Amino acid sequence: MNDNKPHYFEFDDQDVVLEVINLQKHFPIRRHASEVLAGAHPFVRAVDGVSFQLRRGEILGLVGESGCGKTTTGKMIMKLLEPTHGSLVFNGEDVTHTGKGSEIHYRRRVQMVFQDPYASMNPRFKVKDVLEEPLLIHKVGATKAERVQKIRAVMEKVKITPYEEYSERHPHMLSGGQRQRIATARTLILEPSVIVADEPVSMIDLSTRAEILHMMKTVQREMELSFLYITHDISTARYFTDRISVMYLGKIMEIGPSDSVIDQPMHPYSRALISAVCEPVPGKANELKVLPITGEIPSAAKIPAGCRFHTRCLEAMEVCKVAEPELLKVGKQHYAACWLNTDEETRRKSREQAVAQLESRAKTA
Amino acid sequence: MSFRENLEGLGEFWKEFRRSTLGLVGLTILILFVLVGSFGQYLIPFPGATENWRNIDFWQDNPQAAPPVWTNLPWGTQAASSEFLTDAKTETDELDGGVKQQTWTINYNFTADQAPRDVIFAFAGIGQVPVILSVTRPDGKTIEVSREQMDLVEEQLTRFSVTNTGAGKVIEFIRGEDAEIATSMLADIVKPTRLLFSKIASDMETNPVMLKGEYVFTIKALYLTENSKVENPTVRISGFVSGLMGTDISKRDIFTGIIIGIRWALIIGLLTSLITVLIGVLLGVIAAYFGGKIDWVINRVYEYFYLMPIIPFLIVIAAIFKITIWWLIALIVIFFWSGAFKPVYGMALQLKEEVFVEASRALGASSWRIILRHIFPMVLPYSFAVMALSVPGVIVYEATVSILGLGDPSIVSWGQILHDAEGQGAVINNLWWWVVPPGLMIALMGMSFVFLGTALDKILQPKLKTR
Repeated sequence: MNDNKPHYFEFDDQDVVLEVINLQKHFPIRRHASEVLAGAHPFVRAVDGVSFQLRRGEILGLVGESGCGKTTTGKMIMKLLEPTHGSLVFNGEDVTHTGKGSEIHYRRRVQMVFQDPYASMNPRFKVKDVLEEPLLIHKVGATKAERVQKIRAVMEKVKITPYEEYSERHPHMLSGGQRQRIATARTLILEPSVIVADEPVSMIDLSTRAEILHMMKTVQREMELSFLYITHDISTARYFTDRISVMYLGKIMEIGPSDSVIDQPMHPYSRALISAVCEPVPGKANELKVLPITGEIPSAAKIPAGCRFHTRCLEAMEVCKVAEPELLKVGKQHYAACWLNTDEETRRKSREQAVAQLESRAKTA
Repeated sequence: MSFRENLEGLGEFWKEFRRSTLGLVGLTILILFVLVGSFGQYLIPFPGATENWRNIDFWQDNPQAAPPVWTNLPWGTQAASSEFLTDAKTETDELDGGVKQQTWTINYNFTADQAPRDVIFAFAGIGQVPVILSVTRPDGKTIEVSREQMDLVEEQLTRFSVTNTGAGKVIEFIRGEDAEIATSMLADIVKPTRLLFSKIASDMETNPVMLKGEYVFTIKALYLTENSKVENPTVRISGFVSGLMGTDISKRDIFTGIIIGIRWALIIGLLTSLITVLIGVLLGVIAAYFGGKIDWVINRVYEYFYLMPIIPFLIVIAAIFKITIWWLIALIVIFFWSGAFKPVYGMALQLKEEVFVEASRALGASSWRIILRHIFPMVLPYSFAVMALSVPGVIVYEATVSILGLGDPSIVSWGQILHDAEGQGAVINNLWWWVVPPGLMIALMGMSFVFLGTALDKILQPKLKTR
């Protein structure tokens, strides 16, 4: 599996805890009668070839609009969804299709924080039941006392104290921030090495968001965790992450160090996303910004040919309509998939190649 | 979830339940049913009726197809009601030659406007014993209805019916009073009890005037040998009205049947609905959670049993096998689990998509752990409501099956009573007291469970929606 690693995988295997290689997820969709008769199997390409490396102790942001496939990617990493194609490599071991025996080991090392902390806890459980469940599943702590001790420790870590006051509460008796702290505690109690956080603060009051992110960052540093931070909010991503990858329609458009991506975005889509961030400038709060993007996100069932962003790009060129750009190095550890970052000659050649390919395919058909 | 926590939950539940009038009515009726069902054998006037329901000898002293006693309206003619007189006073005398004579006297207060159908002397005993049976009327006259040597066999009741065998003696007594009146009387035609209980007059046969007051029945036994004896003498008045709910054509007391039928109704209703709902809920959750082929197979099986008409199926089964009540319960379970299946299936489909189930899977929980810890507790409250609501259906089903004659004839159920009534033309013969009480009881028991189920549903549904 390691032979077809993408060219932009530049980190050493020693440093990398999780590798995602060409991950794809296609969902079949309901067929029309005509499609059934024609024998067609249409599907939504929710994730269409995503590859990245996650280093030890690193926070990687996965940023994009709703529907771009970032949550699906997270679920595939959590093995909640079976990938249609591609592989997951955890600590150098391919874990894409593991049997039940080794899966439980992987599940212990890789944990997830969900978007809605309330929905992610059984409403009938008390805080102590919520936190005890992972221990029972993985048979950690032989006696009740041992488990309670672990629960107490992890609650201290996420700053929900004292134990006596909160352990008997049901999720609905906690505030949003407290709930997300408990949800985080549930992932930390097994001492994992990777945490996938799917919009962990989007359901939380603005006032407590920073607190939660700060808490997460603190435990991340303490425990040297790797974080995959999935979000649509580029401003928290800048605060929280070390690197950012920008996704559009199931594919990574740009990946690189957070500061570099946000200060010098090398892809028109990244530029549009970043400029969409609200800036609380006095007197300008009510002004609508003109964004460098047009139209709506296309359906993932009908991904445009060529560069998938060309239908909305203000700077689209001829080549963009026929040839799909690869991720090209544009800075230190910084890659972007856009023809703008190439020279005239390359674009012309690529366009001719793509057109020729299309023509030959049309002939054979 | 500790035991204490469950208790707290129960207390909260009770608080909410108490607010539902319907639920309380249902619960009260159900508790009454359970109490009467458990202690019914001490209430019924015929102990041992459960085992002897189809034993003709057990019921032979009852009147046939008699209406209930309360049909004697205060302003109407009072028909004599059936009574068992067991309160006997006894004394023993020593006669010449060392022969012992034992005498029992049983008092009977006669107030009806019509004579009873029959007066039966019954007693047990051993040996060849000369017995004299006599009646002393309120006017002081004594009629000796029988004087003969009786062969008494141990543990066998010896009976003497005045109507069947006492006519000659009664006519003899009348002749002794007034020979004129008795000339036209024929032993085959007269009704002996009518003569026995009316004033002596020329038209006493056609237009009798009842002689009301205290009658004394006397049983006199002579013990000629050492080990001969007479025991437990009783006098049974077979009236024209009988018991709280009358009797059927086989002389059985319907009130007794109703009371002993409660037990079977409860057993059939509760047991069947419990197993039914348990199977339905389990299969619903399994089909929804695992999906795929398991889902497909369970749903096809469900459709099969859902669409299959149970009655023709049962007719065929009953034609081939002898159906006992346990088989019947099993068959009803096989056909009825589909009732609980679909709603639970739908709920479980929804629950398995819940984020907390996904979170549990991400933590590495096994499928069974998720089903037992997360999904099952969520559908359980609903299952209780379904269970309560399915009880009446099951009880009615047993009744239906019994009425069709496909039930278990060895038990006494309301359905069996109705089946007998239907088979022996109760409706045509206007024996309404044979049909209405069991029908009402089926309705009442069904109602109590519907009330309970509705109350449970109301309490449990909103919780389910808001989680």
